[in-house]
Amino acid sequence: MGKYSEDPAWADIVPLPTDEGGPNPLAAIAYSDEYGEAMSYLRAVMASNEFSPRVLELTDDLIDMNPAHYTVWLYRAQCIFELKYPLEDELAWLNETALAHQKNYQIWHHRNTIVDKLGKWQGEAEFVEQMFELDAKNYHVWSHRQWLVKRFGLWEEGELEFTERMLEKDVRNNSAWNHRWYIVNGREAEGVRGVTHEGIRMREIEFARKAIAKAPQNASPWSYLRGIVRKSGMPLASLKELVLQYADTSKPDGVKSSHALDLLADVLAEGADGKQQASEALDLLSTKYDPIRKNYWEYRKGLLGGGSSASTATAA
Amino acid sequence: MAQQQETLRREDETEDTLDEALRDGARIEELPSDDSDDDFEDVDEDFTGPPFPGKHLLKQNDLDLPPWLKPETFALFHDDLTTTTSEAQVKVTADCLPLLTGKERLNGLRYNKYGIPHLNREKHVAFLKDWLEPLPAPYVVIDASRPWVFYWTIGGLSFLEQDVSVYKQRLMETVRPLQNPYGGFGGGHGQYSHLAGTYACILALAAAGGLEAVDRKGLWHWLGQMKQSDGGFTMSKGAEEDIRGAYCAMTAISLLNLPLDLPPDAPARKAGLNTFTDRLGEWVGRCQTYEGGIAGAPTNEAHGAYAFCALACLSIIDAPHISIPKYLDVQALLSWLSGIQTTPEGGFAGRANKLVDACYSHWVGSCWALIQAALRIGKTQDLWSREGLIRYLLCCAQQQGKKGGMRDKPSARPDAYHTLYSLSGLSAAQNHYSYDYHGPSQDGENGRLTAAFNWSAEGPSEAELAAWKIEQEDVVIPIHPVFVLPLDVIERTKQQFQKGGL
Ligand SMILES: [Zn+2]
Repeated sequence: MGKYSEDPAWADIVPLPTDEGGPNPLAAIAYSDEYGEAMSYLRAVMASNEFSPRVLELTDDLIDMNPAHYTVWLYRAQCIFELKYPLEDELAWLNETALAHQKNYQIWHHRNTIVDKLGKWQGEAEFVEQMFELDAKNYHVWSHRQWLVKRFGLWEEGELEFTERMLEKDVRNNSAWNHRWYIVNGREAEGVRGVTHEGIRMREIEFARKAIAKAPQNASPWSYLRGIVRKSGMPLASLKELVLQYADTSKPDGVKSSHALDLLADVLAEGADGKQQASEALDLLSTKYDPIRKNYWEYRKGLLGGGSSASTATAA
Repeated sequence: MAQQQETLRREDETEDTLDEALRDGARIEELPSDDSDDDFEDVDEDFTGPPFPGKHLLKQNDLDLPPWLKPETFALFHDDLTTTTSEAQVKVTADCLPLLTGKERLNGLRYNKYGIPHLNREKHVAFLKDWLEPLPAPYVVIDASRPWVFYWTIGGLSFLEQDVSVYKQRLMETVRPLQNPYGGFGGGHGQYSHLAGTYACILALAAAGGLEAVDRKGLWHWLGQMKQSDGGFTMSKGAEEDIRGAYCAMTAISLLNLPLDLPPDAPARKAGLNTFTDRLGEWVGRCQTYEGGIAGAPTNEAHGAYAFCALACLSIIDAPHISIPKYLDVQALLSWLSGIQTTPEGGFAGRANKLVDACYSHWVGSCWALIQAALRIGKTQDLWSREGLIRYLLCCAQQQGKKGGMRDKPSARPDAYHTLYSLSGLSAAQNHYSYDYHGPSQDGENGRLTAAFNWSAEGPSEAELAAWKIEQEDVVIPIHPVFVLPLDVIERTKQQFQKGGL
């Protein structure tokens, strides 16, 4: 006897017990009595497409025992909509659940579904920032944040400043760099220009430049610069001064960043007769500064003969 | 951590407590949704060591070390600014370096003549077999991912050349209640069909030889419900749309030779789509980010697991040298992939500025065969460091002690997921894959996508073994670079569904 079988409110339901498929199932999970029973009631109500307050409670119970149960989440969402359950209440319940189980696919998809239906974003940005306190690189939280921006048009509601705050805390947080790229360039399809606009491009290059000054061997701002070059088609030569600052091969300790040396090779290769110098920069990477990528640097050297530089040959 | 450095031999693990088993279970995901392996949880807050705390350990035998493990290399760059990211990195490097340089040894493992641990085959086999036994109640957290367990164990055992046909009957019985009458497999009895569970069931069944258990017609119908008007696939009805869906769906379609035409009732038909591949390549292309890597969905962050899903998906819909350059900026992707091989550890991270993790040995490691084929680079040239990855996997990813299994990194516990994907990565690093550029991309008679069936593989030469400091017994058999099963399993499956139809 259990929680549901003893409850008169569930007396009309004939539970559907787990079918293990055969006498010797593989990797069979020894369910607790509570979970096994709750699942057997869930199967029964799903079979009859029941959406009711008691089903909502049942899903709450199951999510508590197994938050990665996508079926329960999806069924709960249907139930919420069928019952016209107050969406604010659902969000409040989710806030508690999310803090306990933040690294979970389903919870973020559910949140997304509810907020979308609710049509209000107030409180979401704060909640997301709270989640970043726990893990500033959580993939789901970042993608939820992007979705919020797009869904509610929050492009200019302090989002750029938000990325600055995140990068102030950890300039190596690549997720925050990705979000910045999105905020700057995410509306191209709607005709709002990002780094293809010269003023914005200058601002973003300056932003990356300052970040590089803090930690030259940080890959993120260098990738960001590469992205700007590819997207805007700007001449690499304009980055030469910046690159040389961190990859001055004429001085014994002049190379402060392998990423700068990598970019220098492309800057040089773009020049009229820079192939030889570019090749030397790649040699330095392969033999001294970044030997684990030797094969890649050798390949890049091979491309020099072809006439165009490797990483910028194709515009994205 | 300081204690670990002082001990030259790591202690045997004690038996799992229930609590530890629960934490193991909680780490398990479907395809990795993010590299959520708690990178920051165990960073010592008061850690104040030098940037590379293992440096002093390298004095003795660095003659034989590869250049990236020599102190003069990894002492070149260390930025003064300390952040959460750099602290976590410093700690992992300190954990790995003594194992990579042979200063510290893994207890219970045999070492080869070069001072590198042998692949602990028997123990890994036993570890995976253990996962097929009944799992205790706390494993309820993987109740929706149980098909993955079938694949990680049976697939992993097949990589280790075990006869897995012995599981055929039990597996077919076990997955029967997971298959829904409307098609596809869910995570368990009464769970909605899901593309991850469907993919995992199909691969496990293929390995064991039980694919006749699949209701192909139902599957075809259900896949039609997953196809979206923008070209991608949702993971389940009403669930998220991401690139895992695209790869898992196309794997099922190609392996089982399902009709390419969308079922008549597929919602995407209303948007003018007629086949499963319509707008698919374009959708995958939209997932490439400014970094050059691939995100789970357009505009998200570039991530190693999604790079594999993208390349493998494109390698199913057409030959890699045709479809990959058609939809992706290959040079930008190559630069990104190359950049996430971590130094000095030698394995791969899932994203820029994240930590090395053995599961990316597959997700990123298996991209190389695909991208080399896309660029038509032959086996004489490599784009990455096979030696670096092999060393990381053998020295850092194998569990010490009696229980076997492979793990994310030395501070993590082994699990079936990391075991299978470490073995796949090891295979990718040790074998050479060739693509037959003249092979058919589509079957002339039944229209089946056959581009992914044109692969062959060759083991390493004696010279390579010596260069990588391993012996023949440490070599894993070739694993198919698209479908992640032994090549002979894929050939058998190709033949089994030659006829097509429903
Ligand atoms: Zn992992």
